[in-house]
Amino acid sequence: MTDYDHAAIDEVLHSRVRLAIVAFLAGAGAADFSAIRDAIKTTDGNASVHLRKLEDTGYVTVEKRFAARKPKSVYRLTEAGRRALNEYVTHLESLLPSGRQR
Amino acid sequence: MIEDRAREDIAFIRETIEAGRTYATSLGSDMVVWGVAVAIGHLTTYLRVGGGLSPGWIWAACIGLPWLYSLRRYWRRFLRNRQPTHPGPMAKAQQMLWLGFGIFLTTLAIAASWTGEMRLGWFDAVAAGALGSTVFATAWLASLPWLRWVAVGWWGGELLVYGLRNEAEMQLVSAAMMLLLLALPGLVLVTRRTPRRSA
Repeated sequence: MTDYDHAAIDEVLHSRVRLAIVAFLAGAGAADFSAIRDAIKTTDGNASVHLRKLEDTGYVTVEKRFAARKPKSVYRLTEAGRRALNEYVTHLESLLPSGRQR
Repeated sequence: MIEDRAREDIAFIRETIEAGRTYATSLGSDMVVWGVAVAIGHLTTYLRVGGGLSPGWIWAACIGLPWLYSLRRYWRRFLRNRQPTHPGPMAKAQQMLWLGFGIFLTTLAIAASWTGEMRLGWFDAVAAGALGSTVFATAWLASLPWLRWVAVGWWGGELLVYGLRNEAEMQLVSAAMMLLLLALPGLVLVTRRTPRRSA
């Protein structure tokens, strides 16, 4: 039996969609809106809502620019976001019996 | 139950991070352009052997135009925007690896042509071996295991090209390798980079 510490869970990352966005950006470094939406297999509206939440929390930053006269939003993971992901993974691993993480 | 969910979440996170790294592998279009351009150079050289065409200016174009293409992309991504589009350390390492490889091979080609050493036929074997090493490193940096087999193909090709260094057919083999082991993997990377999936 494993102790479940509810307080240790990051509520922002507990959403699967937000967790996917942060994990994707951890690998990519930065990506535009459409790439993130495609990677996490969701809709424009859903991706927008979750990206805004992550932005408000300070886990991602957005840079708006124009490419070929079209607006483009490029998202990046912040240090706080990367730290939160690491802590989230560490917490998940702590829930597993030692040596059985993989 | 909690353990199962935790294990599942960890696997999901790892898989998504890998997807991000793959997205960051933006070298695909450069590989296609270079593979096709250099293959044209080899085919033209082969035709000269059989028909008397002088391909010197075509080789200049086959090396110069891909450089312009790659440098334009580099300029747009790293310099004009001041910040790279994909600033992940793995993406940076890949870009610098290929930039260094391109500079090495271009300077060696100029030196070998200048001294007349190019006629001895070793250059293409060296190029194939160096390409194999660069592709092998890229496979690890980008977490693309299948690319390791492409590297093995280049190293095998290195031996073949060296064995054929005095034969005109070496140009045909080199052209085929450029298309199959550089342009084709590049095409695969381009199509995998921004997969369009249903919501």
